[in-house]
Amino acid sequence: MSQGQARDAMAYLTVDNASKVFAGNVRALDGVSFSVGRDEFFTLLGPSGCGKTTLLRSIAGFADLTGGSISLAGAQLDSVPSHKRDIGMVFQDYAVFPHLTVGENVAFGLKARKVPAAEMASRVTEALATVRLGALMARLPAALSGGQQQRIGLARAIVIRPKLLLMDEPLSNLDAKLRIDLRGEIRDIQKSIGIAAIYVTHDQEEALAISDRICVMNAGRIEQIGTPQEIYADPQTIFVASFVGTMNILAREAGSALGLDGGGLADRVHHWAIRPEHIRLDEGAGDRIRVAGTVEKYTYLGREAHVTVRTPAGKLVVQLADPAPTLGMGEGSPVSLAFRREHVLMFDERGVRMPSRAA
Amino acid sequence: MRISFWTIVSVLAWLILGALLVVPLGSVLLSSLQDQAGQLTFENYARFVETPRFRTAFVNTLIVGFGGLLGSLVLGSAMAFCMARIEIRGSRLVSLLAILALVSPPFIGAYSWIVLFGSGGLVRQTLMQWGIFMPPIFGMWGVLIVFSFKFYPYVYLLASGALANINRSLEEAAESLGLTPFQRVMKISFPLVLPALSASGLLALIHSIADFGTPRLIGRGFNVLATEAYTLYSAEVGSNLSMATTISIVLILLSMVFVFSQRYMSRRNVYHGNLINKPTKRKLKGFRNVLAHVVVYTIALIGAMPAIIAAIYSVRRTRGPVFHPGFGLDSYQRILYNLGDAVQNSLLFSFAAVALIILIGTLIGCLVARRMTVNNAMLDATLMVPYVMPGIVVGIAFVAAFNGPPLALTGTAAVIVLSIFIRRLPYSVRSSAAALRQVSPSMEEAAISLGFSPVRAFMKVTVPLILPGIIAGGMLSFVTAINELSSSLVLYVGSTATMPVRIYIAINDGDYGTAAALSTVLLALSGTAIYIAIRLMGRDERALL
Repeated sequence: MSQGQARDAMAYLTVDNASKVFAGNVRALDGVSFSVGRDEFFTLLGPSGCGKTTLLRSIAGFADLTGGSISLAGAQLDSVPSHKRDIGMVFQDYAVFPHLTVGENVAFGLKARKVPAAEMASRVTEALATVRLGALMARLPAALSGGQQQRIGLARAIVIRPKLLLMDEPLSNLDAKLRIDLRGEIRDIQKSIGIAAIYVTHDQEEALAISDRICVMNAGRIEQIGTPQEIYADPQTIFVASFVGTMNILAREAGSALGLDGGGLADRVHHWAIRPEHIRLDEGAGDRIRVAGTVEKYTYLGREAHVTVRTPAGKLVVQLADPAPTLGMGEGSPVSLAFRREHVLMFDERGVRMPSRAA
Repeated sequence: MRISFWTIVSVLAWLILGALLVVPLGSVLLSSLQDQAGQLTFENYARFVETPRFRTAFVNTLIVGFGGLLGSLVLGSAMAFCMARIEIRGSRLVSLLAILALVSPPFIGAYSWIVLFGSGGLVRQTLMQWGIFMPPIFGMWGVLIVFSFKFYPYVYLLASGALANINRSLEEAAESLGLTPFQRVMKISFPLVLPALSASGLLALIHSIADFGTPRLIGRGFNVLATEAYTLYSAEVGSNLSMATTISIVLILLSMVFVFSQRYMSRRNVYHGNLINKPTKRKLKGFRNVLAHVVVYTIALIGAMPAIIAAIYSVRRTRGPVFHPGFGLDSYQRILYNLGDAVQNSLLFSFAAVALIILIGTLIGCLVARRMTVNNAMLDATLMVPYVMPGIVVGIAFVAAFNGPPLALTGTAAVIVLSIFIRRLPYSVRSSAAALRQVSPSMEEAAISLGFSPVRAFMKVTVPLILPGIIAGGMLSFVTAINELSSSLVLYVGSTATMPVRIYIAINDGDYGTAAALSTVLLALSGTAIYIAIRLMGRDERALL
């Protein structure tokens, strides 16, 4: 209890037991609680339909919760209409007003706040400079690329100096390379103006790259909240383990084939899991679990290569860093795999992680 | 507050539909089920079935309906194919001529055909002098020819749009799979254009059934249900309202049957393709190129001929109703001195109706597009009814409903305005709903998150974005309103006569010069409105439907 209060003391945004039930008893959100710090970059990550967008829209005020409450900067938001919440939002489809110029788009929210003309002009110029669109102030959005339109969306949201910045899959309509560039910029801008941000995405790599903390959601519930390192290296559920990054997941029977006893808990283990980068092609080192198999597929990706190996324990994917271009692995060639016992994660029948130190 | 506003709109919409649709239709139905003494009876329907004259009219209505449909399909799809796939010189002009055919005022079209191909027609006489006999255009075939050339633009505009939207890769894929060009057209292109063909064919059919000016002038004894209804209603001796309403009910049912069978037939035929590979126009050479141009220009010129003839005849010199050699502005002078009130009425009624249509239509359109509830779906479905009601039926229904207390509107200007309003409302609702669906809801949400209240966000963002579409729709409603004849003809009294009514009277009186001049004025007004509409919509003629 005291631990929870300590967390609340630094909480800026608090979502408490948020629930949303649609007609037909569909639970879009099922008792979701978390809090976000004052200048934290917080990401909601999950597959489509997991409730992350519903949650974001509830914070913005575009959807009503059927249970629970949300507070921001110490004030309850539940009865505040969305246009009085002072929350900036960036949309998946940009939602840039096509009948207004770039400058007018950015000034739009300042007009609602009746900011004096001189101040408005300087704030618009500053916001456009922040997103590197200063030269396009007088243009109409139709002539601009998707990446530029989303920069307008971002400038328009931050120029009003909102209490909170919400971003709903802002990069999902852009091509891969631009996505990587822009996510770095978004992160830099958020840190430089020091604003709390909630970012929704289904792209786990994007979430790892951009966030201070990630909240992984599934079927309307929170699976795990943690830093990118915690989420990737220390997943608490089998859903998180398999959704974030690549994971080899083996059925319980594989344990005996690999000689794993789960520290005496083997009968409670339902799944074993290990990351591809933790498996090595035999190098003869000491305390390792070994298994022999045959190559089924070799995929060369330049920086790395993936080898799918058929073993008595099941199929395992092995990641090779910096593979030699001459290295080719024919289908059916015999290989020997080895990995450390402490890299094997164990999950019980409810998909919850079991303490691996016991091993 | 927001919820209550849209609830008010919803209630208002149902009130309007109740007053202007349910009550008139109910009155028509009730009247058709009553005998002269007001007793409930099916006798009128029995008489409809027994009387040979009505049976003939029923069969003739089917003939003009399907004949008009077939003729429009042949002409429209031939033109659509040529225009969409072959390079035609002056294709803008051809489109313009097609639009001219579509908006040329009623009656004068039929009249122009008589001027050229009637018993003493110009073309017919000339051919006779050369020793070529040509039967006068009167009768069934005349009606079918006029309908085909009047309604083909529906098919042309919709089908050419569909043809231009077929991804070329589909046809190339069929070709690479070994289909001959003919097989390719039959198995790929035709099925993909079919929805557009059936939708536009339905429009031609509905309009052919509803039209009563053409069979009246050119039919010469070839009676259809629309003319029978009008004759029964307007006969000075022995006017028979309950028989007229019986025929009206039959006409409505007939139209509904066609609408629902078209919907049933095309229920699966909705194709959403991508347009990565746009079809291109081919340049033909030699004989085939000449042939394509001849086909396109023949159809376009004959279709636009009534409007052109009217314009020419309007500047011929006249003395009284008789044409004299040479040109002059006598006919326009006569309009100025005698018929100024008709022009004024037409403009006044049309503007009033269009203002109502824009206001109410946009509100209901927003309701239907943004708030998908059972109530709104029912509203949308009910709006289909005025869409298929022939003008004659609307006129008769309004007379039946508003002839006495509580709403004694017959003979007022309001009843004409309201009849135009209810007939055009469905178009306006659909076009504003369509415009609204183009605007992402997140636009409005963005404005709200930036601090504008929902109502202000709607006004500042959504309204400016759909405004061009709304004004364009209003312009097209204006064209329909100012050219409306059949319901006004039933509803007008001396002081509320409009231009189309005056044209009808003038033609019946043999005053062709005045009719031509009035038609030309109408044409100029319609042309201006359409020009504005097309400019606002970025040149999409299909929105004219």
